[in-house]
Amino acid sequence: MLLLIRAAALSSLIVLAACGADPAPGPVEQIIVREPGAAAAVASAEAPADALLAEGKAAFANCTACHTLEEGAPNGVGPNLFGIVGAGAGEVAGFAYSDALKGSGITWTATELDSFIADPAAKIPGTTMVAGAIADAAKRQAVIAYIDSVTAN
Amino acid sequence: MGKWSRRAFIGAGVTAGGALIVGVAVRQGNPIDELGPLLANGENEQLLNAWVKVDTDNVVTAVIPHVEMGQGVHTALAQMLADEMDADWNKVQILEAPADMQYVSDSIGRDFLFPNLQVPALLEPTVAGGILELAQAMGLQFTGGSYSVRATGQRAMRTAGAAAREMLVAAAASEWQVPESEITAADSMVIHARSGKSEPFAAFARAAAEQSLPAKPKLKSPDNYKIMGQPMARHDIPAKVDGSAIFGIDADVPGMKYAAVKAPPVIGATVESMNASTAKTMPGVLQILNMGDFVAVVADSYWLAQQALNSIDTRYSKTEGDGLDQDAIFARYAAALDEAGEDGGDTQTEAGDAVQSFAEAATKVEAEYTVPFLAHATMEPMNCTAWVRDGKCDVWSGHQAPVNARQAAADAAGLAFEDVTYHNGYLGGGFGRRSDNDAIIMATRIAKATGYPVKMIWSREEDTAQDHYRPSATSRFKGGLDKDGKLVSWDNIHTHLFDPADAPTVPYYNIASHKIRKVDVPMHLRFGPWRSVDHSQHGFFIESFVDEMADAAGKDGYAFRRELLAESPRHLKVLDTAAKMSGWGNALPEKHGRGIAFVPSFGSIVAQVAEVDMSGPKPKVTKVYVAADPGFVVNPDGFTAQMESGIVYGLTAALYGDITLKDGAVQQSNFHDYRMLRIDEMPEVEVALINGDHERLGGGGEPGLPPIAPAVTNAIFAATGKRIRALPIAKHDFA
Amino acid sequence: MIKLNVNGQPREVDADPATPLLWIIRENLKMPGTKFGCGIAQCGACTVHLDGKPVRSCSTSLSAAEGKTIATIEGLASEDGTLHKVQQAWIEAQVPQCGYCQSGQIMSAVALLEKNPRPTDAQIDEAMAGNVCRCGMYGRIRRAIKAAADIDQPAQVEA
Repeated sequence: MLLLIRAAALSSLIVLAACGADPAPGPVEQIIVREPGAAAAVASAEAPADALLAEGKAAFANCTACHTLEEGAPNGVGPNLFGIVGAGAGEVAGFAYSDALKGSGITWTATELDSFIADPAAKIPGTTMVAGAIADAAKRQAVIAYIDSVTAN
Repeated sequence: MGKWSRRAFIGAGVTAGGALIVGVAVRQGNPIDELGPLLANGENEQLLNAWVKVDTDNVVTAVIPHVEMGQGVHTALAQMLADEMDADWNKVQILEAPADMQYVSDSIGRDFLFPNLQVPALLEPTVAGGILELAQAMGLQFTGGSYSVRATGQRAMRTAGAAAREMLVAAAASEWQVPESEITAADSMVIHARSGKSEPFAAFARAAAEQSLPAKPKLKSPDNYKIMGQPMARHDIPAKVDGSAIFGIDADVPGMKYAAVKAPPVIGATVESMNASTAKTMPGVLQILNMGDFVAVVADSYWLAQQALNSIDTRYSKTEGDGLDQDAIFARYAAALDEAGEDGGDTQTEAGDAVQSFAEAATKVEAEYTVPFLAHATMEPMNCTAWVRDGKCDVWSGHQAPVNARQAAADAAGLAFEDVTYHNGYLGGGFGRRSDNDAIIMATRIAKATGYPVKMIWSREEDTAQDHYRPSATSRFKGGLDKDGKLVSWDNIHTHLFDPADAPTVPYYNIASHKIRKVDVPMHLRFGPWRSVDHSQHGFFIESFVDEMADAAGKDGYAFRRELLAESPRHLKVLDTAAKMSGWGNALPEKHGRGIAFVPSFGSIVAQVAEVDMSGPKPKVTKVYVAADPGFVVNPDGFTAQMESGIVYGLTAALYGDITLKDGAVQQSNFHDYRMLRIDEMPEVEVALINGDHERLGGGGEPGLPPIAPAVTNAIFAATGKRIRALPIAKHDFA
Repeated sequence: MIKLNVNGQPREVDADPATPLLWIIRENLKMPGTKFGCGIAQCGACTVHLDGKPVRSCSTSLSAAEGKTIATIEGLASEDGTLHKVQQAWIEAQVPQCGYCQSGQIMSAVALLEKNPRPTDAQIDEAMAGNVCRCGMYGRIRRAIKAAADIDQPAQVEA
């Protein structure tokens, strides 16, 4: 009995080892955009109409790790932010807010958002927003303006 | 070069620079010269398949054929060697062996394949040679299975240390013209007390290599251990507090570019098409590759590669896994177990007549338990850097089986093993995950396509969704008690068997009739060894059911297990120690509970008592008491750390671990939906170590894990009367 | 070119301003001590100090760090190589196992003690709860922080 069990274990290991000998196929499709060291083509970035919104958009890239902004986009680590300016705290459907934030009674005016983003844990102790604080006041203004502009459009 | 006896297992030599080197031959006629260039410090130095080197500056270097992933193996194995050698611990250095066939561990091969092998000493070379060939075939320069100390340490490191010491002493005796028996060694010095002579080891390095090789060096008895059994500081820690430790992901190759990858969400599917029209225009992008089984973007930075990858619209082929949801998997298990009935499936062990004894039992208990798939979630996501050019290949990663990784890279590059150099960094967590070759193969294929060095990093999302998982499983039990409440019948059938084969068995419990069977259920997911492997689920199944039987017998879980272990004093001592530490039997506050569990695994015996506080909205584990007997503890602080670590890994899984499938794909992606235990949930852990058998050692990396889940669920039962039969605990409501 | 101050040294990098600071530190500045763990500020392996405050560099853009003082694990020891008291306590308590999360753990602990030299257990838990250690060395982290704060001594190991 014992020998049979060991033999079974052994055969499974040998199968594993044999996997290493599988031929490794090359690419089905290989798109070479450029070679290393070659200068990148100048990206035709959209010319933003408003410098503040452009700055806000760039700064918001940092927020996209957790937040979506498009209407109807799913919640991520943080809630979807479409329409957040003017909304009540803890109101985005389907997001599991901290009790602290839900019970804060805050309405997210630009001013309230500004102080929250400056230091979330100081504004609402117990919030699960642990990252993304923006210390730079100008940058905060830009981000809030950008968020608001997406909703307005 | 030293003399190699045809039959001796031990080899020695002297380097051109005058350093003594001693190795335990991995096979006869070991091709010494091939290893020289791999290990030598300078042009003038050559090495055997060495385990130890004594340099001219009297530094002793231990060469360790295992990888360091936090388990402290480099330090523990060096302790074993240095103690036998009577080396000065403060002057011991450590070198990880290169990924070379000569460092394939025959000791591991032996213990892994034939754990109870006993052969006469005369036959040892032949038997070991045969095992080595097997081990080489399987690429076992392997770190895992909690094997390093108990196999390589006991068999190779100690032997090499003792042999080196005996040869140094013989050389000194010859030089000083005194009997060997009058010479002692201590702190890397040979000493002749009667004449007052003493010299550093290095003074006799050259002469020692000319001594005849001890056929069987005398190993110390535990009362003479000086370094073994001491809580020596780990050698790898200083580099891990100042940011200088280089992990696989930290490889830095000139001209290196970065790759982000995405494989089909349903394992087994292939890439049917990709639309990279946006990705092509994104900054930093160099190449976009459809590799058939995954898509890769190569760019100037990893972040740019990942951004571009996110923009690619990919279509995947249909597979049998499509449409498969979590519930359907467990329904499959139930159907397979139903079909096996009373006598089907593969019988693993059987004694007496479990069916009849159950029919005749005074009290009958039946229960079914389930556990989910689990991801490894190593802190360092899977990654590999590769460079394929001019018929050569260099590969950088952190891998538990470097020889295997090297072979995998060779196959992927279409090159010979000899043309591949594998560079192993520290492992940012292994836990079994880094024994797979998938990342090595993918990176090598990408690098072959580009021609320049590429560092491939998996996103955390990819790491979570493309793991080789701990299988989910269902286990059913029937247990019978006689009229005195004695456990007399044990009938278990469960799904899946990966490794080790003894995981579902309970030979340490005295149960007259038992039958243990398994059924296989095909699944499209890939399974891999996950810390403590099958013990991770069977520890929960077995120790939950034992607790249920104790409850049915109207007995306390500790007292009931004592009866089952009555004839095994070594096991009983471990159980008693844990119970005593915990104050078992003392009153606890209301809504608090204590649970006990006992699981021997990987040669070590471990009992744990967990305390839970159920007064809040969710269970809080407040204390864990651990008693462990691994035979002999080489490094008490290191072993204690392994117990702590195993408990957290197991507790994380017990509380939260739940990889689920929807439409064939893994639903979890990152730490927000695959939760980790954090510091505010960390119980106090108290560990007691017992040295119960210094001849046969057990492992440390894994045995701390299996008892924690049942200890906690048994404690929840004690506190609330609610029996958790399906993990994780988080999906149960305690309100 | 974006100007940064890293561990007291002025540095300039040419990169997309939206790039997370983590990758700038690792790839452009070639300082691999700061680790990638999750990319979404859930694990803390990438923790660095920005103007003295602990931040998750995986979720902090390069533009957000422009002109700020950045401190990484590589800059924690003094110039003569003397380890920071938190690093020393980490060695004494033998905290790291695999070690991958430890740069972030140490940076969080240093920031905690700078703000609060004698934290309570609850304050330690709160400050460190953003840092995951998959090897589960939380008990030792607590011990080491208390030792560094002279609250009590960790168990000694032999050198």
